[in-house]
Amino acid sequence: MKPISMTLFASALLAVALPVQAAGDPKAGQLKTSMCAGCHGIPGWRTAYPSVYSVPKLGGQHADYIVAALKAYKTGERDHPSMKGIAGSLSEQDMEDLAAYYASSYSGPAK
Amino acid sequence: MIRPLFLLAACLLVSPVHAKGNAEAGKAKSAACAACHGQVGVSEVSNFPTLAGQHRDYLYHALRDYKSGKRKNPIMAGQVASLSDADMADLAKYYSQLPGLTLKY
Repeated sequence: MKPISMTLFASALLAVALPVQAAGDPKAGQLKTSMCAGCHGIPGWRTAYPSVYSVPKLGGQHADYIVAALKAYKTGERDHPSMKGIAGSLSEQDMEDLAAYYASSYSGPAK
Repeated sequence: MIRPLFLLAACLLVSPVHAKGNAEAGKAKSAACAACHGQVGVSEVSNFPTLAGQHRDYLYHALRDYKSGKRKNPIMAGQVASLSDADMADLAKYYSQLPGLTLKY
């Protein structure tokens, strides 16, 4: 094969092999933040149990990382009582939307 | 009565200094972190979290959980194995001071 067709073939393979990202929608995510904002949206808010530390900032965090964290809470791989309960109630689409919202610069409809 | 009070006061004075870490010392220890979390704590790989601007005590807590095994991640388990408590406090302080993450409602 010529180098160009090799490259094309390789890119086509790659495109097929890469998992389709169920890209989240920041606008849909913004509408689903009611359970998050009570802790993650309050300056200086700290966890109450089982140990006390500041609730992490989510603004500007990578969407993929947020989705991975939510899934880990849901399966119990990552352990936190409140997050287990909340992540457990989210669908995969909810997680993608929320992650897209926090990762993005979108901050809600203009008022 | 004076002695216990003095001891208590001394503890209060001493412990926070250690717990809060030293940003300069943290920067000097951050080379290994930069490979995944970025040169200034803003990760270029979406699977790896951005650390810049994250709360100091959250970062410290995460490192301690990786060290104790409460939080499980093969990469991080290897990274924290050689870190002392002071190292973790220093790194947490360093990354918390860099511009990056924001509080988002």
